[in-house]
Amino acid sequence: MASQEIDEFERLLFDWDDGTLDATDTTRLRDLLRTSPEVRKLYVERQMFGAILKLDGDAGIGSSNAEHGSIEAATFSASEGDPLLLSAVSEGTVDMPAVLQNSKGSVDVPPRRYTSLLIVVAASILFCVVVGRWLLVEARLQSAEQGKPAASEGLPKKLEATSAGIALVTRLVDVTWQESENQFTVGDALSAGVVGLESGVAQIEFFCGATVILEGPARLVLESSTVARLQSGRLRAQVPPAARGFQIHAEGLRVVDLGTEFGVAVNEGEADVQVFDGEVELYQLTGEPRLVTAGNAITHADSGMLEPAELTPDEFLGLEALDTRVRNQKEDRYQRWLDHSTQLRKDPRIITYYSMEQDRYWKRKLASSVVPENRNLDGAIVGAKRVVGRWPQKTGLEFKRPGDRVRINIPGQFGSLTFACWVKIDSLDRWYNSLFLTDSYQRGEPHWQILDTGQLFFSVRLGEGPGKGHHKVLSPPFWDASLSGRWLHLATTYDVETKTTTHFLNGEKLSEERIPDALFVQQTCVGKATIGNWSSPTRPEADFAIRNLNGSMDEFVLFRTALKPDEVRDLFVQGSP
Amino acid sequence: MSDTESDTKQTEIFVQQLTECQGRLFGYIYSMLGEHSRAMDVVQETNLVLWRKKAEFRDGAPFMPWALAIARFQVLAHVRDQGRDKCLLDSELVAALSEETEQQVDQLETMRLALRKCMSELPPEKMEVLQLRYYRSMPIAEIAKSIGRRADAVKVALLRLRRGLADCMHRRIQEG
Repeated sequence: MASQEIDEFERLLFDWDDGTLDATDTTRLRDLLRTSPEVRKLYVERQMFGAILKLDGDAGIGSSNAEHGSIEAATFSASEGDPLLLSAVSEGTVDMPAVLQNSKGSVDVPPRRYTSLLIVVAASILFCVVVGRWLLVEARLQSAEQGKPAASEGLPKKLEATSAGIALVTRLVDVTWQESENQFTVGDALSAGVVGLESGVAQIEFFCGATVILEGPARLVLESSTVARLQSGRLRAQVPPAARGFQIHAEGLRVVDLGTEFGVAVNEGEADVQVFDGEVELYQLTGEPRLVTAGNAITHADSGMLEPAELTPDEFLGLEALDTRVRNQKEDRYQRWLDHSTQLRKDPRIITYYSMEQDRYWKRKLASSVVPENRNLDGAIVGAKRVVGRWPQKTGLEFKRPGDRVRINIPGQFGSLTFACWVKIDSLDRWYNSLFLTDSYQRGEPHWQILDTGQLFFSVRLGEGPGKGHHKVLSPPFWDASLSGRWLHLATTYDVETKTTTHFLNGEKLSEERIPDALFVQQTCVGKATIGNWSSPTRPEADFAIRNLNGSMDEFVLFRTALKPDEVRDLFVQGSP
Repeated sequence: MSDTESDTKQTEIFVQQLTECQGRLFGYIYSMLGEHSRAMDVVQETNLVLWRKKAEFRDGAPFMPWALAIARFQVLAHVRDQGRDKCLLDSELVAALSEETEQQVDQLETMRLALRKCMSELPPEKMEVLQLRYYRSMPIAEIAKSIGRRADAVKVALLRLRRGLADCMHRRIQEG
């Protein structure tokens, strides 16, 4: 092909990209593509060139102020989820609906939808995270806490977030923590430091792939993703081939794993090492390493002598035994909740209550649990899927797609209110992530939602007009990606006696705020409303605000009173999975 | 390994693969559609389909060809829905270009590294124009206004710049 035609093609493609190519030339461009393999190859090259620059642009790489070194360093992460770092839209406090994003919208719109799925996906596997950079989202949330967006104006800057963490807590059974040390919950990432168990069992998964079951009383010092020091107590380590080289240090002894399962116990200056499978190498401060193979046990006495010992695998709790204990614990907690819920249903202060207990998976009605029965309070499930709730024995509802929701209708006038629910947030993709919103937003109607900054947001509408819309009460940010996929108890009380709104997370007060007299509303009402989404009143245009929750809900209750803090705490304790 | 453990493992591998292919997926889809936000939309749709079909994916099977096949369906659906006004390629051209694109996208990370080295040698004023056009997708007319030059001059400069950088990129790849 003549170079003239190549030139022509380049110009035509350039103008097409620019949006300035007319119909005749567009036809010409298509013809060139159709007839010449050479042009097709060049087309792909040019497009690939554009794609790379877009990717770099999104990742903030190669900005003029970036130094060469950082460009190189950024290589790895740039191809993946970086755009999510740029997704901070500082609209958090402006009450306007996030209208369905137009697909041909300006390119300056942060490409948040690109990554939302990934965040969701990440959430669902947080407990077996293989790449620490999933925690990138934290950077955004941290900066939200500081009250500024993660991305600056203009050209995006590179923001490679880091997250400290060398292991994850994956299971806890009947744990009490040593008072002097930190307390953890399942799903927490652990940094270097002490895990101190007074009693109970903790399963810890190191980022290198090794799993350790620590039985209290015990103290384990995490040093890196491949090394931990057992100060006292007993542990069992399971080390898959990928994590070979994992080390446990105990009393002047280093146990280096060669792909195996072994137990270590430290007691009054003595360390026992028992190998159940595979082999380990024992290093002392001096001398040759010693190989210990499956079925053998060694005691390392105070004196430094290594002596053969008896193998007692039953003394070291294994993964399977732990699993049984976890299941028993779950069953107990489920029963406790069920007992509590059965009482709660009869509470006359309840406006409506959805326990989501024993609902059939195929039912599209969300039965109200209120006793005496009132079928008028039943909700209609639209789109949302029934999924496993806090326990395998009961269901919850999953809200995923923009249309997912539960419709309800609650007649009557009220004063004080309390909203409470168990929720598992996968990610906060929207500016507004709905918990409970009335359809319209008339005088006295409450809106309860979560901002993308991780703040609870509650407001009761006063009326129309500037300066008299509503008083919004925001909690400090409580959610970040590390909480993704975990069941959380959220509650908000609206107290008309004290004119205060209080937000709670897991039974603890997050914040409390008095509503100015001018914006205070005495009488509240609900009417038609939606759980997990917002149904704005029917409008002629088809666009609707996307405010769906991205996550699951299990139990929702609305009271005609402002619960006291200890009552909210009780809801949390009794329902804790 | 119990069933749930093996499921978890599968999901883990799946997510890792999905994460790792995002750049290439975007490269493929952008090449076909050539417009940033629409390409992003289709990437997102493709991700959702991949996620829904994750049961079809088994560890050990090559992930990328499978992902690209699904991406191609999404591109075709998009082209069909949006029509000729919005898309340069029709379904016939998508088919004709698919193989070449799949081959080149395989090289995306290599190209990316090479291109970055080439760009690090650019003088600041050229870098600025390049960023306005490619990072921010600013129309030529606006770029011209913002840097106080005529639109056709900007266009010629950018065409030259694109070709120069592409040549440099290929040279670097060949040199290894």
